[in-house]
Amino acid sequence: MVKPQKTLNQQLLRYGLYVLLGVAALVYLLPLWVMLLTSLKDVEEIRNGTLLSLPGTINFDAWSKAWSGACTGSTCDGIAPFFANSFRIVIPAVLISTLVGSLNGYVLSLWKFRGSEILFGAMLVGCFIPFQVILLPMARMLAMLGLANTVTGLVLVHITYGIAFTTLFFRNFYVGLPKELISAARLDGAGFFFIFRRVVLPLSTPIIVVCVIWQFTQIWNDFLFGVVFSGAQTQPVTVALNNLVNTSFGGKEYNVDMAAALIAALPTLLVYVLAGKYFVRGLTAGAVKG
Amino acid sequence: MNEKALPLPETGSVRPVALSFQDRLAAQLPKLVLAPTVIVTLVAVYGYMIWTGLLSFTSSRILPSWKFIGTAQYSKLMENDRWGVSVENLIIFGGLFILVCLVLGVLMAILLDQKIRAEGALRTIYLYPMAISFIVTGTAWKWLLNPGLGLQKTIRDWGFESFTFDWLVNPDMVVYCLVIAAVWQSSGFVMALFLAGLRGVDQEMIKAAQLDGASMPMIYRRIILPSLKPVFFSAFVILSHIAIKSFDLVAALTGGGPGYSSDLPAIFMYQHAFTRGQMGLGAASAMVMLGGVLAILVPYLYSELRSKKNG
Amino acid sequence: MASLTIDNVTKSYGQTQVLKGINIAIEKGEFLILVGPSGCGKSTLMNSIAGLEDVTGGRILIGNADITQAAPKDRDIAMVFQSYALYPNMSVRENIAFGLEIRKVPKVEREQEVQRVASLLQIEPLLDRKPGQLSGGQRQRVAMGRALARRPKLYLFDEPLSNLDAKLRVEMRTEIKKLHQRLGTTIVYVTHDQIEAMTLADRIAVMRGGELLQLGTPQEIYDNPVNKFVAGFMGSPAMNFVPCTLVASDRGLGVEITDGAGNPSWLPVPNAERLGGYIGKQVILGVRPEMITDPVPHKAGEAMVCEVPMKVLVTEPTGADTMLVAEVNGVEINCRINPGYSTPVGQVVPLMFDMSKVVFFDPTTEERIDRA
Ligand SMILES: Nc1ncnc2c1ncn2[C@@H]1O[C@H](COP(=O)(O)OP(=O)(O)OP(=O)(O)O)[C@@H](O)[C@H]1O
Ligand SMILES: [Mg+2]
Repeated sequence: MVKPQKTLNQQLLRYGLYVLLGVAALVYLLPLWVMLLTSLKDVEEIRNGTLLSLPGTINFDAWSKAWSGACTGSTCDGIAPFFANSFRIVIPAVLISTLVGSLNGYVLSLWKFRGSEILFGAMLVGCFIPFQVILLPMARMLAMLGLANTVTGLVLVHITYGIAFTTLFFRNFYVGLPKELISAARLDGAGFFFIFRRVVLPLSTPIIVVCVIWQFTQIWNDFLFGVVFSGAQTQPVTVALNNLVNTSFGGKEYNVDMAAALIAALPTLLVYVLAGKYFVRGLTAGAVKG
Repeated sequence: MNEKALPLPETGSVRPVALSFQDRLAAQLPKLVLAPTVIVTLVAVYGYMIWTGLLSFTSSRILPSWKFIGTAQYSKLMENDRWGVSVENLIIFGGLFILVCLVLGVLMAILLDQKIRAEGALRTIYLYPMAISFIVTGTAWKWLLNPGLGLQKTIRDWGFESFTFDWLVNPDMVVYCLVIAAVWQSSGFVMALFLAGLRGVDQEMIKAAQLDGASMPMIYRRIILPSLKPVFFSAFVILSHIAIKSFDLVAALTGGGPGYSSDLPAIFMYQHAFTRGQMGLGAASAMVMLGGVLAILVPYLYSELRSKKNG
Repeated sequence: MASLTIDNVTKSYGQTQVLKGINIAIEKGEFLILVGPSGCGKSTLMNSIAGLEDVTGGRILIGNADITQAAPKDRDIAMVFQSYALYPNMSVRENIAFGLEIRKVPKVEREQEVQRVASLLQIEPLLDRKPGQLSGGQRQRVAMGRALARRPKLYLFDEPLSNLDAKLRVEMRTEIKKLHQRLGTTIVYVTHDQIEAMTLADRIAVMRGGELLQLGTPQEIYDNPVNKFVAGFMGSPAMNFVPCTLVASDRGLGVEITDGAGNPSWLPVPNAERLGGYIGKQVILGVRPEMITDPVPHKAGEAMVCEVPMKVLVTEPTGADTMLVAEVNGVEINCRINPGYSTPVGQVVPLMFDMSKVVFFDPTTEERIDRA
């Protein structure tokens, strides 16, 4: 075999391509890098240096202040309590919406009944509506149930509007399973839940991962529901971060802002780095609907 | 035909095997399992939509009142200068955001599709902003774009003394700051969509075109990109959806300011409904937003369904 | 084992009727094969028997039990699917034992049953593998093993061999036949494969468009089809259909044909007494390819045999035979020729027509007109 010789032109084109992609990568990384640098500087260095100037000494004062001392609206305990709030909201909401979504998807793909397709379509609308149309009634409803400004209330809201997505994920995954699998199990004598537990669930690991990651990111990053339905003590970290940044007494402490922003972004970034493949799959699966 | 009488067992001896109560119940299980979601959807999606719709025809302020005043809130909305600005902003922001995201996304996808060595790493870098909350994005870009200590100062410090970049505090330009931050966050996602689409293109079709003597740019323009029409379509729908719902980014990056020069409908709705005690007006603006989403979505879903029926 | 009775079963999806009153009864231990074009309702009928779909009307009996309303698990039926439908997350052993486990069979007995089935199908070495680690043929065996393990009253096979390559298919076909003979199981089996149908079946049911056209032994279906559709469906290459006119002459009743070169000939017709009403009218003559051969001396002189000159259009050697295409009355016909017989394309050669088994159809209704 003789390797075809690349012409000079092609070589240059190839280099150009890599340069272009590299520059683009730098642009995408820049904000994160600047955030990190800023969070490690002290206020003096920020005032005197540029965005990209390196900190003289690396100090984590801004981080510890952001974590436990910065003022977020009414309190000055840092964002730690709200970080915890976010987990208290995210964990039950993700688990329940995933579980319900998997059961719904199982019904809508492998146990279809008359009208189930229409029900599915009707549920999908929940993925698309601008949430502004449900904010007012939902607030009333939570107040009536005594759940206004509670973590439980927020969890319920996230479950309610997350189920449409989780159902979509699982349904689209399960329609790919052969229907005969269910038929065979039924003839073997297995019932609805038994088949789910023993036959379907063991095959669902990839979609469970996708769904959990998607829901985790969505709910962790939520701001709208958080700002509308939570109280001063039950805010998620995104709301606290926004309050911290926009609280303006004394001088602006950009290093603390950046540290707090990084802390708020850390969990989802971590998930992305560890399970990026599934994250992308969730994004594209959520995109290619129906 | 099968004229011969069937050799049926004698009637007396036939013993029907009936469904037990448990079996009957089991047969209803799929519906029972789906029922809670159906009820919740009916109430919390459709019911609430109707509720908001009704509310938009009332004079509700801080508390809902059921005094119907016809379409007065809508006329008020149309006359409201702030609403006008926010809709105009949405058109500028949405249009640019979608356009730039699509162009960048397609471009990066095509460049990445050239058997690039570090493709995995690059893809990871382009896409990571999507994992971040818009609030964090807003906070970061607010810092980068602030004229006092951000980009402007950095570049001036590098010797370009007259460099000015004050869009964040310039009411005429602030909406473009939103575009920059939103594009940074979402273009990688569009890239991922198109990359997946490109990988799904029939390789034999490309080989056939190459044998026909077509050049690579030509193949992209004439064969590959046209075959990605559905991806363009979904990307467009998702991006416009993001644009219309945009709330967090504005809240964190500009807070709607300076003044209300960077307001978007989502901010308008939130402020009137929840902080300014103008529930009726807020409800009306929400309904207009819903109308906007439907105007984009219904044709999309319609064509999706039709193509599925034909295919 | 038990007999199966399908009594006037109908099934509709909304407005469309997919099964239009099916009547089939088979004895205990019989092997019934369902054939018919794609979409004619074979799988629907199988699913109805299994209880995976509700029927719209009619009854289904297994032995003396009316199971029309029973849940699938109470019907004591096992099914083998075209896609095998093995549980991907379970080992072969677990796949086979799954039905027993659900029926709360004690572990020891389960293991015995797995061993019995595994040795029957020679899959003992595969027991601890997952289905993903098996070849197509092995998966097929496991799927059968899963059905056999429960010793149900009735087995349903929906195109079980159609995903196998030709050679494996023949092997498995023989094996299924042996199993049936050894175990005496009652089986309903769907196939698109002519040879599978002919070799395996005790009886064949030919369906079309949700209707049962004919139920009979393979030989009955082959020799005595009720209409042109059944005649054309079974047999490969298909029966030749030649439009012609019935003429009464001094030699008796016959048909006149003209070959591609324009040579007219006259062929005798059996069972003349049943065709009285059609003399002088257009009919369709059905004659199987193997009844048109090179002239063989031992048949010469028989009443229904004649030699006719035919122009050769195409020859297709298949090894054992050569298929020869000629033209009669404007339609192409297939003839089955001894490969040793010289048939140069374009030449006119004498061929021997054996008319003793020909059949006749009405050209408009396509029904048989000479059936006893
Ligand atoms: N769920 C359904 N809803 C509506 N029509 C259906 C449904 N399932 C099957 N059909 C229709 O019923 C008819 C019979 O289908 P069936 O699967 O029984 O055919 P088949 O004889 O098994 O075909 P094949 O040989 O291709 O397997 C087809 O026309 C099919 O379109
Ligand atoms: Mg079928």
